[in-house]
Amino acid sequence: MSVRASRLGCLAALGVFLGCGGGSAPSTRIDVDPDTVELHTTQPVELTFWYQHSRQREEALQELIAEFNGTNEHGIRVQGEYSGSYGDIYNKMMTGLQGGALPNVIVAYQNQAALYHEAEGLVDLNRYINSSRWGLTPAQRADYVASFIDQDRTADGAQIGLPPNRSLEIMYYNAEWLAELGYDKPPHTWAEFMRLCYLARDQPFSRSAHKERSLGFIFDWDASRLATSVFSRGGDLVQDGRYHFDSEQTRQSLEMMQQLITDKAAELMSGAYADQEEFAVGTSLFMIRSSSGLPFVRSAVEDGGLSFDWQVTAPPHAGDHPVLNVYGASLSVCRATPEQELASWLFLKWFTAPQQQARWVKASNYFPVRHSTARELKSYFEEFPRYKAVFDLLQYGKSEPNLAGYQVVRKKVEQAMVEVAQGADIEQVVRKLDRDANATLGQY
Amino acid sequence: MKTVGSKKGTLLAIGLACGGVIASLPFVWMLLASFMTRGETLRRAFLPGDIQWGNYAKAWSEEDFGSYFENSLIIAALQVGGTLLFSLMAAYPLARMKFRGREVVFMIILATLMVPETVTMVPNFLTVSWLHHNSPFGWINNWPALTIPFMASAFTIFLLRQFMRGIPEELWDAAQIDGAGHLRFLFQIVLPMCRAPLLTVGMLTFISSWNALGWPLLVTNTPAWRPISVALLKFVSEAGAEVHLQMAGAVIATIPVLLLYALIQKEFTEGISMSGLKG
Amino acid sequence: MNKEHLTAWILLSPALLVLGVFGIFPIFYAFFVSLHAWRIRQGEVVGAVHYLQALGDPAYLGLAAVAAALIWLAWRWGHRPNAELAVTNKPQVTPGSRPGVWFVASLVLGASGFVVLAMALGGLAETGDLRLYNGFKITLFYVLGTVPAEIAISMVLAYLLFRAQRGKSVFRVLFFLPYVTPMIATAVVFRTVFSPHPSSMANRFWGWFGLENQRWLFEGRSVAALLLEGLGVGSYPDWVNDLFPSLALVSIILYNIWVYVGYNTVIMLAGLSAIPRHFFEAAAIDGASAIRSFIHVTLPLLSPTVFFLTLVGVIGTFKAFNHIYIMRTAGAQDSVDVLPVVIFDQIYQFHDAGYASALALILFAAILLLTVMQNRLLGKRVFYGD
Repeated sequence: MSVRASRLGCLAALGVFLGCGGGSAPSTRIDVDPDTVELHTTQPVELTFWYQHSRQREEALQELIAEFNGTNEHGIRVQGEYSGSYGDIYNKMMTGLQGGALPNVIVAYQNQAALYHEAEGLVDLNRYINSSRWGLTPAQRADYVASFIDQDRTADGAQIGLPPNRSLEIMYYNAEWLAELGYDKPPHTWAEFMRLCYLARDQPFSRSAHKERSLGFIFDWDASRLATSVFSRGGDLVQDGRYHFDSEQTRQSLEMMQQLITDKAAELMSGAYADQEEFAVGTSLFMIRSSSGLPFVRSAVEDGGLSFDWQVTAPPHAGDHPVLNVYGASLSVCRATPEQELASWLFLKWFTAPQQQARWVKASNYFPVRHSTARELKSYFEEFPRYKAVFDLLQYGKSEPNLAGYQVVRKKVEQAMVEVAQGADIEQVVRKLDRDANATLGQY
Repeated sequence: MKTVGSKKGTLLAIGLACGGVIASLPFVWMLLASFMTRGETLRRAFLPGDIQWGNYAKAWSEEDFGSYFENSLIIAALQVGGTLLFSLMAAYPLARMKFRGREVVFMIILATLMVPETVTMVPNFLTVSWLHHNSPFGWINNWPALTIPFMASAFTIFLLRQFMRGIPEELWDAAQIDGAGHLRFLFQIVLPMCRAPLLTVGMLTFISSWNALGWPLLVTNTPAWRPISVALLKFVSEAGAEVHLQMAGAVIATIPVLLLYALIQKEFTEGISMSGLKG
Repeated sequence: MNKEHLTAWILLSPALLVLGVFGIFPIFYAFFVSLHAWRIRQGEVVGAVHYLQALGDPAYLGLAAVAAALIWLAWRWGHRPNAELAVTNKPQVTPGSRPGVWFVASLVLGASGFVVLAMALGGLAETGDLRLYNGFKITLFYVLGTVPAEIAISMVLAYLLFRAQRGKSVFRVLFFLPYVTPMIATAVVFRTVFSPHPSSMANRFWGWFGLENQRWLFEGRSVAALLLEGLGVGSYPDWVNDLFPSLALVSIILYNIWVYVGYNTVIMLAGLSAIPRHFFEAAAIDGASAIRSFIHVTLPLLSPTVFFLTLVGVIGTFKAFNHIYIMRTAGAQDSVDVLPVVIFDQIYQFHDAGYASALALILFAAILLLTVMQNRLLGKRVFYGD
């Protein structure tokens, strides 16, 4: 008994020790002025970079990293590693923040970065951006698309990330089928959109292998889709710092979805990526998704055997110009030694320079965050007019809320959308969603 | 052994066949999908048109399967070896020896089964990090972090204890008369008798080690020691899933396990004959 | 400590060390975390706040304990007559004698116990975290739906595979395939099988019986509610939805049974293989039929394995996560949120490690209690050796 008791005692002591040790990981530190930091090639800085890209995007990224390693004048060496999905990286960061090694550069969405920042794990990049020695000139600073770089700023003004790329929610459409239905231009209003969905339901794509199944659209329950719909009607998800789901635009969006589903001109997605797959084989006429899906659609339409003519455009909109949902993960720098932090910043600066941006977006099909990248992409635009079509829409981008706890609200939106798709009373759902969403404001 | 009557036999056969079909359907789908082109997976085709043997070569080379495969094998072997040895050693006293606190120790061991993985990941990571900094060899990004935490399993200890309890007391008496102590009895008599459960648990441990994903992702930062489950993850990217390659990878990943199982299941055909006992 | 004790502890030490550091320490750590306001970093000590927030007013907890005591007492009293009979060896019970009084008393006690329990649960649900109690309920559905079915099916399968004459190797591999096939593949297939789409396998199967398409994994309403609707009953009280598992959960239960039946069968087979042959031979010589031999010879000798699988099965299903999480859809609302899923959400969605740890410890305590109870109740019935 005594042996066991003493064993348990050891474990408890270990627990307390580790708990305390973990809790007081480095956080109180003085922020060094980057202008005073030196980088010597005799003591090359090694950085770790965790990302979630795989396959072709990873290859392109590794090429860029290798070039940085070979050409930067300070001998900085970046080691980039695939570290799972966004969720896996979040997991590693969460545990790393409690004790254990942190990487230097990570890919993170705004709400994740906000959490890391709250745990004092990230660097406020303003010091580096404004540094006279290492930072951005005013011209360079203005070259970044304002709305993109603002997304990564917290409420108290800390710049906790730098966007390397952005994506837009766009509408993909089967141009061939559209022509068969008698139209040569995609719909600009939601009313036209609905009309075309009904037409598509009644007249399947002539080259579809599954003509018994023909739809105008397949709805995804992702909260970003609702945001796209609401933005396009001139609305927003927040107002004066509070959620505002109880709005005319939200109601209209949900009503349209319910109507189309009831009339069997549209369906709710039956599984992840189902809308992409069905679009690629000619079963649905329209698809609204992130522009980061461009490479997939390109290859899938071909692999699906149909190779039909497909195009992209802004989703239908209410006002005179479209309003699109823009989003994307950003790169954040974790707290480390002053030399490592500076080196990380230099990598970020290099990566978001126009030449690198051009290479990155060509390989990844994301969209650049700097206006001047357009100069580097002239021939690319000619080769890929669809890409240019989306590029021209970047100026109309609007982003989703950056409030704490938005992740939770997204889940509630998802459930609400599914309920509506299954026939629930929209008035009730919208009111409840508004209530529940605003209830999260106090908690986070 | 009595043979079952022919009518019953046919019913049985039909029942088993239905069960077999239901059991194997997803595996068959996985196999078929691994031979399809991407287009066919998109069109939800049931059978591939031309068999795409190339998928396997592509999956293997594009994601450096060879090295991940090797890692998985080493990790699984270490985990299985450690688990079987330590659990065997621990089950014996719990089953056949009398000492104070025996039932409490058993309960404490069982308690380790009762905590969900979500909760054990963080403290275990902290422990492993601490060990990494305070021991002569590295833990993170190295085999110790991937194997040592799992080298004892309450599940295995519990199962072996159940079996050991069923071993007749006469055997122990006979062994004692021959001058053997507990250790000799354990390793020379009990160990061979526990072949069936040991092989079973060895295989189940192998499978769980082989399929583990969450923990390896957490404790490795480079591909050096990553297992094959991580490689499979990479086929699903933001640009959409490459199902045909992923399934090819999954088939490659499943084959060793199936082979192991096929080899082992032969051991379960006969019961153990206890000659010299009931004489 | 004598030599036997020393040997015992030496043999136990490697396993205890590993389990202690990587299995027991996390429990202490989680407890430590649960006493703090802990989002990502350690905050201030808040004591038992998380537990109260989760469980609700302690008064109701006390009430629940009283209810449990009442029910246990009722059960004991209800069994008294049998004990008495065994002792006194009286073969008959004359009406109106003492056993009848005990029986009625136990019924009354039991009924009142359940009433008190209902009050306690209602109060706890109101003052505590609904997600926790909903989680308990769903987990209970899940365990009760999965474990008995798995054990029964695997027992039958193992016996058949053990005794079958031909083709047993093939079937042994086939039935084990579900467990061995990577979850990415099985999940995709089952999501397709149980998809709400009219052409999904589940809907086609349902259609053969002339029944309407269901939403399966997207259906948050209970099977009882759907049954009533199918029978034409339009409106029903809320408890019909609350007291029965949803169709989504049933689909997931079926998926899990499918995955783990092979796993259980393999262990049962190991158990069967360890039974000395002479038992079967003796039964055959005695002229017992296959069924009688199964019930009176195989079953008792298999009981250590069955006990093991039941215990481990209950523990496993209580903390089951992966297979449920991967099949969760927005359409199921919260009807498939078993406790481990609730805990996971608490960490990754709500970013509250402190509260999540408290929930995890509550779950741990529940499993521990359940295991101890199972050990007491079933452990006695296990037959070891000859």
